[in-house]
Amino acid sequence: MISKVLPNSSDTYQEPTTMSDNPNQSAGTPGATDVVFRTSDLAVYYGEFRAVRDVAIDVHRKEITAFIGPSGCGKSTVLRCFNRMNDLIPSARVEGKVDFHGVDLYDPAVNAVEVRRRIGMVFQKPNPFPKSIYDNVAYGPRLGGLKKKADLDAVVEKALRGAALWDEVKDRLKASGLGLSGGQQQRLCIARAIAIEPEVLLMDEPCSALDPIATARVEELMQEIKDQYTIVIVTHNMQQAARVSDRVAFFTTEVNTESDRRTGVLVEYDLTKKMFSAPSDERTEAYVTGRFG
Amino acid sequence: MEELRKTYHNTLDQIRADVILLAARVAESVPRAAGIILDSDLEGAEYVIKADAEIDAVAVELEERCIEVLALQAPVAGDLRQVLALMKIVAEIERTGDMVANICKVARRVYGHELDPRLRGLVGRMGEQAQAILLAAIDAMRERDVAKAAAVDDMDGYLDAVQKQFIQTLIETHHGTSDDMQVAVQLAMASRFFERIGDHGVNMAERVKFIVTGVLPDHRKPERAPVALGDVAHPEAGESA
Repeated sequence: MISKVLPNSSDTYQEPTTMSDNPNQSAGTPGATDVVFRTSDLAVYYGEFRAVRDVAIDVHRKEITAFIGPSGCGKSTVLRCFNRMNDLIPSARVEGKVDFHGVDLYDPAVNAVEVRRRIGMVFQKPNPFPKSIYDNVAYGPRLGGLKKKADLDAVVEKALRGAALWDEVKDRLKASGLGLSGGQQQRLCIARAIAIEPEVLLMDEPCSALDPIATARVEELMQEIKDQYTIVIVTHNMQQAARVSDRVAFFTTEVNTESDRRTGVLVEYDLTKKMFSAPSDERTEAYVTGRFG
Repeated sequence: MEELRKTYHNTLDQIRADVILLAARVAESVPRAAGIILDSDLEGAEYVIKADAEIDAVAVELEERCIEVLALQAPVAGDLRQVLALMKIVAEIERTGDMVANICKVARRVYGHELDPRLRGLVGRMGEQAQAILLAAIDAMRERDVAKAAAVDDMDGYLDAVQKQFIQTLIETHHGTSDDMQVAVQLAMASRFFERIGDHGVNMAERVKFIVTGVLPDHRKPERAPVALGDVAHPEAGESA
């Protein structure tokens, strides 16, 4: 199969445009000047059912973008489009476009495995492999062909340091990853994700199974690594979105005329400070202030 | 649409209602202070000065309630703007109360001095206009009405013009004696206090605009055009004539 080569971010670097009210333009933060993902008219179907429609979002480089909204609004579905995780669900079908540095991710010539190598994912429930801490982190690099022990050691240490876990586990790298606490397991999963040096980290409610201290550690970690990665996070915790993200997309559900199932729709996408101080859409206001759930 | 966080929103509504109540109480005392000067009402002056301590206490209590909501409920968006604005508005009301008490102190100091009839008329007008400004700001707050809030600034232009005329009249009616000079200085200060009350009303209205639109007051706006008294009909002119 011919594999279409995904461009590097440096290949498509765009000069920053001037500040504007358009949320799809850069916030002007240093290093956050170009668009990594651009969706247009994105809709996802599960069989005949349209789960989410009309999503148009630009995800900016080295920023944290948060997706918030009530259950069933399609935020996780949209997140999974960013590394073609929906491909693994047989009935799922994507309409519209998801561009990654200008290349259509759903172009048949694009290799889904390459996509997932470049765009890592961390899930709601920590899911370390039933292997040692070391092997969990070394798994991806080994698959990528790295064999020398010294090289692997260096990669594992770098990733564990990057995930702020090194000091806690450096003396027991051969111990099982499943023996760690929930918060440590989640940071191990982050280390595993960043060991293969992806460009983007997708996080699907990464803290919902963690206690407040572990949550604070993961949030702090996100701030520390955002100068190296573009992060998109789905969260049920609005305050978490307010604390960690640069931009927020609010999704909600709307009643279908043809069925009683609800379809997700993007309501508003803007800078986080705007979304939590003066959102433009009444539905966003009602949701963030708790007038509707 | 199902309302979540009802208790929290009731708390916010109650704080807002109590801020409006305090503002109304202070607004009511403004023309009274003018009357106290005009009637040499020492008893009234005493009463209003003492009442200011109560206003200060209520203002502190309202501020504490705002801090509690901020600390415990982490308000965002419109709720956040409202709490932040209410804290500012409470400070404006508290300061307005101080101005009213200061006017009453002037009434004590000028006690026993006959005021020129022209000055008497202008004191009455300043009291009425300063109150009208506060009431308009309160209305705007109660109804979350940006258009009403925007009108407050124009009303303040009229008050400023009346105050200028008052100072001019003070100079014209001044007889040059030392005793007369002291009274004139006190009256000039009283007029300044009325003028400041108008400014506090404008600030309150600006915060109402912030609550509704999220836009902070722009202090770089061009100075407003001077108001000639002849250009603006006195709001009470029809009734008092």
